[in-house]
Amino acid sequence: MTTYHPTSGGEPVLVLRLAGVLQSWGDRSAFNRRETRPEPTKSGVIGLLAAAAGLPREADLTDLLGLRLGIRVDQAGTLLRDYHTVSDYRGRPLPQTGVSAKGVQKLTSPAKDTHVTHRFYLQDAVFLAAISGPRPLIEGLADAVLRPAFPLALGRRSCVPSQPIALGGLREGTLLDVLATEPWQAGEAHRDAYWRTAKRTNTRADHVDLSATIDDDNGDDVAHDVPLSFAPRERRFTSRRIRHTWLSVPTGFPAPDDATAAPAHDPFALLGW
Amino acid sequence: MPFLSRIRINPLRAASQKLLANPRAIHGAVQGGIADRPTDERVLWRLDSDNPHRPMLFVLSPSRPDWTHIVEQAGWPDADGEHSAIADYTPLLAQLAIGKEFAFRLTASPVQNSSKPTGDSEHRKKTPKELHQRSYRLPQRTAAHQLDWLLQRTTRWGFDIPHARTDPAAPGLALPEQLTPAHDVRIIDRSRHNITKPGSKTAATLTTATFEGFMRVTDPRLLETAMLNGIGPSKAYGCGLLTLAPPAGR
Repeated sequence: MTTYHPTSGGEPVLVLRLAGVLQSWGDRSAFNRRETRPEPTKSGVIGLLAAAAGLPREADLTDLLGLRLGIRVDQAGTLLRDYHTVSDYRGRPLPQTGVSAKGVQKLTSPAKDTHVTHRFYLQDAVFLAAISGPRPLIEGLADAVLRPAFPLALGRRSCVPSQPIALGGLREGTLLDVLATEPWQAGEAHRDAYWRTAKRTNTRADHVDLSATIDDDNGDDVAHDVPLSFAPRERRFTSRRIRHTWLSVPTGFPAPDDATAAPAHDPFALLGW
Repeated sequence: MPFLSRIRINPLRAASQKLLANPRAIHGAVQGGIADRPTDERVLWRLDSDNPHRPMLFVLSPSRPDWTHIVEQAGWPDADGEHSAIADYTPLLAQLAIGKEFAFRLTASPVQNSSKPTGDSEHRKKTPKELHQRSYRLPQRTAAHQLDWLLQRTTRWGFDIPHARTDPAAPGLALPEQLTPAHDVRIIDRSRHNITKPGSKTAATLTTATFEGFMRVTDPRLLETAMLNGIGPSKAYGCGLLTLAPPAGR
């Protein structure tokens, strides 16, 4: 077992609820296939905070890069594929990548009128993001999320978050402690389904097992999603070490009388989305 | 796109008693649920009898199956509740990441290969040609050997099994230094089936062990291969299906 190093001890933690009809957290998408990660990326969350604080795209991100991030999957949602076509409104064939002697893109031959692109979204997902860092910075960001300078988005401009984003006030403690104690944020239908399943399969409903990913310098996985610059012509990313873990979070449902009954092995518990 | 199915079995019916007694019968019933190319697809299944009065059959199949025939013959066709559930397996495969922990369950048939087996059964007098140019597969029959079989192979299946959590000994009660810590896995069931195939007078013996424990992903691609293609021999007879669940209470 790996042990958690409380690198964020003593620092305040800002807790954000990332929920909306659609979300899309890409980390290496380019061109015609825009994929999404199953969890929010660090660049997405830092971009959201930078937008709230009113930083322009070319701004220096040094302060924000020191923040430590933990993500909890409260409701995994389902994957949506958006089949998307692009064509020229004047009815002309689309240009190809090659250029003519004048430096103008040549037209496709044989003429190609439609480009197909795929955009992937998470629908009906809810995540909890915990961000820790130096106190003045976190307090400023908590204030900015309540009165954002630019509109906030969940990974892409079209993905509008639902309220509330900031869950009121700052928390104290390590990222892991905060993520493990914060109430379950899943929607009402999802909570009801969990309660019904627990009753049918005779398992405990007072806690739910949620997967989480946190920044950890000794973590055994790597995510390539730390933004060095959001400038449109100079977008650069670097990597961070992360650790995947599970948290047992209180649901608010009553505990069964027999408190020692261990749930049986249920392979369907992970196939919820 | 693989699918995981769960079918509940009514143990009081004649058809289910035949199923529960004989892995060949379940193999036939499971293959009968695959519509198009039952002989080309790698279908894995496992019978879980946590509650012996309510056994559950789990099946992993590459194409979408249909279990109406099992429900009609060996279930409760008119009862309330879910006769059989079918879920898409890809979301779970997408969640596999290095370092992620899961609870697992696996029924496998641990074997060792030997070119010079002892014993004088008819099977062991076969020539290499009759054995299709391979050596003899002998079952691992003790619990210790079966556990070793699992622990030696986990790395090539893309996961490892961490040490079990233990409390420190009371002061003054130092443990011997050479004691190696136990891995967090246990054998919850061991069984032996004699399977007689049509046209053969001698029975083939199938020795299985069911493992349950905690695992940590070390290589998601290897693990995905092991989960979809199965682990170890006797995959047609209910062995080799590795299922994952959230690690409750850890």
